[in-house]
This record gives sequence, structure tokens and C-alpha cells, in this order.
Amino acid sequence: MILNGQVQDIPEEWANEPLLYLLREHFDLKGAKFGCGVGICGACTVIVDGIATRSCITNAGDVEGAEVRTIEGLANDDVLHPVQQAWLDQSVPQCGYCQAGQIMSAVALLEQTPRPTEDDVDAAMDGNLCRCGTYGRIRAAIMQASETVR
Amino acid sequence: MNRRGFLKAAAGGLVVLIGAGVGVYSQVPVIPNRPEPDPETALGWISYADGRYRLTLPRAEMGQNIATGLKQIACAELGADWDTVEVGFHDTTAPAVKATVGSESIMLFAEPLAQACASLRDAIDQGRDLGEVTLVTRPVSELRSLQKGGLIGASPGIEQGMGIVTGQPLYAADVTRPDMLYGRVLHAPASVEVGSRPLRWNTAAAQAVPGFVALVEDTGPSIGQSEGLGIVATRPGALDAIAQALAVEWQIDGDHARADVMSAIDVDTHLAGGALRHTVRDDDPAPGRWDVDLRIDVPLAAHGPIEPRAAVAEWADGTLRVWAGTQDAFYVRDVLSSAFGLDPDAVVVQTARNGGAFGGRVICTVEAEAAALARAVGTPVKIQWTRAQEFALGYHRPPASHRVKARIVDGKLTDWNHAQVSSHIFFTSGVVPQWMQRATDRFAGDDGVARGMAAPYQVGRAKVSYDVVRLPVHTASWRGLGAGPNALAIESAMDEAGLAAGVDPLDFRLAHIDDPLLAGVLNRVAELSSWGAVSGEGQNGVRQGRGIAAGVYKKTSYAAAVADVSVDRRGNVQVDRMWCVHDCGLVMNPDQVRAQCEGNLVWGLGMILTDDLPLADGHVVAETFGDAPIPSSTQVPPMVIDLLESDRPPQGAGETAIVAGPGAIANAVRAATGIRPQRFPITRASLVL
Repeated sequence: MILNGQVQDIPEEWANEPLLYLLREHFDLKGAKFGCGVGICGACTVIVDGIATRSCITNAGDVEGAEVRTIEGLANDDVLHPVQQAWLDQSVPQCGYCQAGQIMSAVALLEQTPRPTEDDVDAAMDGNLCRCGTYGRIRAAIMQASETVR
Repeated sequence: MNRRGFLKAAAGGLVVLIGAGVGVYSQVPVIPNRPEPDPETALGWISYADGRYRLTLPRAEMGQNIATGLKQIACAELGADWDTVEVGFHDTTAPAVKATVGSESIMLFAEPLAQACASLRDAIDQGRDLGEVTLVTRPVSELRSLQKGGLIGASPGIEQGMGIVTGQPLYAADVTRPDMLYGRVLHAPASVEVGSRPLRWNTAAAQAVPGFVALVEDTGPSIGQSEGLGIVATRPGALDAIAQALAVEWQIDGDHARADVMSAIDVDTHLAGGALRHTVRDDDPAPGRWDVDLRIDVPLAAHGPIEPRAAVAEWADGTLRVWAGTQDAFYVRDVLSSAFGLDPDAVVVQTARNGGAFGGRVICTVEAEAAALARAVGTPVKIQWTRAQEFALGYHRPPASHRVKARIVDGKLTDWNHAQVSSHIFFTSGVVPQWMQRATDRFAGDDGVARGMAAPYQVGRAKVSYDVVRLPVHTASWRGLGAGPNALAIESAMDEAGLAAGVDPLDFRLAHIDDPLLAGVLNRVAELSSWGAVSGEGQNGVRQGRGIAAGVYKKTSYAAAVADVSVDRRGNVQVDRMWCVHDCGLVMNPDQVRAQCEGNLVWGLGMILTDDLPLADGHVVAETFGDAPIPSSTQVPPMVIDLLESDRPPQGAGETAIVAGPGAIANAVRAATGIRPQRFPITRASLVL
């Protein structure tokens, strides 16, 4: 697979693991989180071939040949992705645990729909849960980032 | 055991059962040590070398962004540039501190930190750069960081914000140690207050699962009465398959006597049996007919942090090191040292950022499991609970059943009777063993349940009483403790009383307030929201309404809220907009106090519309957020938050607005539909046209 722009092998013993654990425990990319294990909360979201994907219910072997992007690959050297910058500018995170998943869902949304309507944001983001209640700031950050992405 | 030898054997499938035989663990609970912070201790939180400062955070960081707030205080007092202060999270080699609970981290820790920083600043100004600083306490008026201006009252970028948005390892589950394995402790699908233990299991099938390393029978202290069976694997994903293959048969010691939880706490049943045992106010209301007579029920609710709790444990030369996301590292350290027979100095608990806590991480559970499994296999072990384990093995908001009665004469409350039955918060069964419960429950009430039960209004002759019942599910601290549900009951009754008196809900409240700070937040939220009735019917049978509520948290922190809701024909409630005004005295970081208000309003919305934890036969059956939902993005409305800063020292901010948000939404639903919500979360069926 191509992981954050680098060609990487998927070791045989990890092929039947959830992609989330391959990323976290084999590649040591700790950004994507375990939250529910059944694809409901969205904390594990990464981007596979341009699509926001729940890595906890994706078999690692199934991304063979695919392009996988995680939050660690978003920034370009020291320059943050506009979505990351918007998250900081709006002081979105409270506990922060869900935010990598939120950010990856938002990045995928803005790549497909650079000028999202409220309904587009609802459709893309309603599957990413946040217990701290940062939803209003997430919305504001997406709108800020969409201005920059344009 | 030699680790390398062990791993080699494991790879061949030879090592199976380790630590055979269940350990015997003390049934005497470890009592939490709760030292109050003082300036002398605070000297241990701050240090200086080569032009740079290090602030060792004496609090758990769990999203209240206290790292940012305390760093503001340190920088302001030291006169230091933001980038010269490095913040680290404490481990248990730091000076002992009480648990991070009760919205105290600014209220109680700001001044000691400021005093310590002022003394350090003096020492540096005197040209010293080595040795220990002597504390010279000074009047609060001379502490720069407790006066508004500069960084105090500013909102700098949040500490660890960069780490969060770039995916850096900040949480306990992100910790990796050399040769680390992955563990889980399986438990019976039964009440944690009924004895249960593994009886038989299929070892051969488990061994056949790729990645299997070991079964561990000695899994540390039980969770309540539930004894587990440990499994260890080379990859976390193998744990599900191993658990399935094991097909453990459990021995369960019968049913819990109060498996039907809501019946067990039914307030009317208890009142029919006589007065409730614990009294908050006892003014003896006059007998006679009541104008308001309301029953309010809230169910069990999980904290539902997105991070299931996790710990990594590592043993070396008889010492134990644990990484944990906990609100009370020192208590975890004390429990581990007691359970494993170690000197407290031989255990070090390193705190990590908590992926949400909300009162749910003040006891020791996953940390002891990780320690037991790591001891058995002789190599570091990481455990992160599954979501189903968070629900089944964690403790929860107790369910509560309220009966509130009020009498009104000439538009004023003359008599009030509020009765409640709930379950324990401070004296949780998660810590207090059954033999001790039998001794203490005869006389001890529970101040956590009673928190906020005395109405903040002039309600006339008031009787306020409660009782607590042991349940098959563990209950304990949840954001605001009893204050959230208690305020919901009070605010529902105040609203009905206003209606009975024929007085506007805002005016009715103001007529019963003698505390200008409470009146202040109410008046401001009324102004912000252009208070006035908005009830009416919109298109397609959508009913609209507006509600208001207010309250005081821990007697010092004030909030008022207004909510607008729409209820469609099918009974779906959408909260359209909320306003909230909060007064917690001097504000260090307005943006983050606002963030806490936003969070509390979402929690309030959850209390009214989503939070529930289904049980069957006295044990939790919820396994996913589908079974025990929390508010989602589309349920949460735009919010307007305003902060009033009365001329007071800083008070708590992390829980206050939970006393106002739920009542505002419930009262808005009442205004929209004419139906008083009495059972929460509200069901569609109760509001269908």
C-alpha cells in the first residue's frame, strides 16, 4: 500500500488485523484511535483512495495496493493542512481523542466538496461522535478551512 | 521468567496457562488520600533552568484544557514568555495531589501555583539560578496572575493542540514499550455485584488462534464481585478471536435482588413505605393539596468518553510502572501497591491525557488488569477496554426517581417537598465492598446524590429528602454528580409552578430569587435570547417552544440557559438554538470556559434526548454507541454563550452549565407540546400527535 506517500508492505501476520491496529501498532502511527470497534464513532477514520474510511472495521489486507492517508501525513513539512490550522484557530479540541477522525472526515469532505453546504457537512460529519460536545466548533473550523481550500 | 525464553515458547504454542490459580486480594478498600493543594507543595510543580521553566501539571488533563489555564497563570506570574514554559504531566513521583474532580483545578490550584511562581520569580530576580526556592506567600492582591490583564483573561492556543491535530501520541493507549503484548480480561455477562468466575474454557481452540500468547487466571483484584480470565496476544486484533474461541463458561452466583433497577428506586414505592432516610432540608411543609405534583425519572447513563480506558504496565526488578489516563494517579498508585504487595515507592503511575473522563476515571480498574497480566507474562502489556467493557464494567450515573411537590399562594411558593431515590456516588460499590456496604449504608447518606438538591430559589417551607439503594450496576461520579438531574427535577417543578401561578417562567423565577448573582445570569440570558414566549405551531404540525432554567453549582458558580425546540408530528425533538450565561468569577481563559459551557449544554441535551444505558437481568447489555447513544453532530444546535464576571475569585466552570441546560430543553418541550416530560430520555411516543 501507499501509506502517507510511501510504499509500505503489509506483513502477512497483520493482514487479517483491522487496518487501525496495523497503523497504530505496526507502523506506530497513533493518530487514528480505537473508540468503538464497530464503525459507529469515527475516531479511527483514515482516508483510503480518497474516501473517509473506518479503519477499525477495514481489514488490513484489503488495502493492499490502495493509497492510505492518516493524520500524520496531512501536514506538508512544517506547514499544517488548512483543516488542521482551522482546528487550532477555532480551538476545537477538548479531550482531543476523536479529533483525528473528525479532521480526516473533514479533509475527505473538502476534497470532494470544496464548498460544502450545511447539509453536506451534516452528511459527512454526523458519523463522527464527540462526547465533549465540540460539534459547533468543528462546523466553524470546516467552514474556515473551506475558505482557505478555495 | 526470562522474557525471551517465554516469547520463544509462546511462538511454539507451549506456554498456555500462567499464574494459575486466582490470587487472593484484599476486600478492604484503599481510602483515597485527598491532600488539598498549598503553595509549599506547589513549589514542586514549577522549576527553572537555563532560561526555561518546566511546569509539572498537578491536574489530570481531560479536555478541560487545564494545561493551558495553569500555564497562563505560571507565565503571567513568572513574567515568562509562553514558549519558555514547558508543560509536563505528573507521575506519582511528583508531590501528591487530590483527584481531578469537582471543577476545582482553577478554583483551588490557581493561587498555590501563583504563590510558588511568585517566589520562584523573586529568586531568579535576585540572581539565583540553583538550589531550592523558599516560599514567601503574599496577599492575593499582589499576585499578578490573579488579576485580569495580559494572559489572564486571554485565550492563547491550547496546550497540546498541535499534538492533537497532527496525531502525536498523547493518550495511554498510544504508549508503546519494547516487547509489549496486548491483553484483555474477560468477565461474565452478569451483574458486577453478583459473584461470578470462569468455570471452563476451550484452551486448545484459543491456542490455535494466530497471535495467541497466554491465558492468565490471576487477573488482579476483581471488579465488584466479578472475577475475570485474562488473555494475552501479540496483536490486539487477535484478542476478539481468542475470546470467541475460548468460549468461556461462567459460574454466576444467581440473580441480583434488585435486578429491576427502576423499580428498586421508584420514589413513590419508597415514600409509601415511610419517610426517606436522609434529609437536606426539613422545614415541615403544611399539609394540604399541592398545586404541582411531579414525578421525574432519569435512568442510568454511561460517561461515554470516546476513549475506552487504557493502561500499559511494565514490571522491572520488583517495581511496577503504569501509564494511564486517570483522574487520580495517586489513588491508582495506592491501589496497585496494596493489591500487588509493593511499597508505594515501587509503583509509578504516569498520567496521560484522558480521552474524556467526566468523572468516570477516579478508581483503579484497567490499570490493575494490565499490571496483573504484565506480571504473569513477564513483559509489558497494554490493555484498552472494548466499548462493551466500558459499559459493562465501568460505573455510571445513577438512575434517579424524583417526586417534587409545590404549593403556590398569590403567585408565591409557600411549600415545597422534593423526594428522591437514587444510588451511590461517593460511596460507590465500585470501591466499597459488600461487607462494608452493609455496615455503612444503615446510617450514611451520599452527598454526591444530594448535591444541588436544595433548590436555589425561595421555595417556602421545604422538605428535601432522599434515599440511596445498592444496585446491580456500579454507579458513581458523572459530570456534576447529582446536580444535573436534581436541577432538572427542580427546574421542571419551577416551570409547572409558574404555569400554575399564571406567571411568565422568567418572572416567576426572579420573584423567588434573593441571590443577585443568580438573578444576574437569568436576566442576561433573557436579554441575549430576547426572552418571550415563542410557542406555536409551524408547518406540517411542527410545534415550537422556548424554555428557561437556571442554577448554582457547588453554591458558587452560576448558569442560566434558554432553549428553543421544535417537535414534529411523530414526536421527534430538535433543539434549534441555545443560549447560556455563566458566572464563575474571575475567568482565566474565556474561550475555554465557553468551551466548557458548550460541552455542558451538549451533555444537557443528552440528558433529555439520548442518555440511557439498557440493562437486562441486572447487567448492562449495551455494547455499542448504537445501544447507548450520545448526542450526534446534527442533534446539537447553534449556541450563544456569554460570561459574566462577578468580582469574585475564580470558581468552578467544568460542570456548572449542566444545572441549566437540561431544564431549559425540557421546559421548551413542555411549552411546545403542553406535555411535561417526566421520563428521560424523552421518547417519541410520549410526544406524538
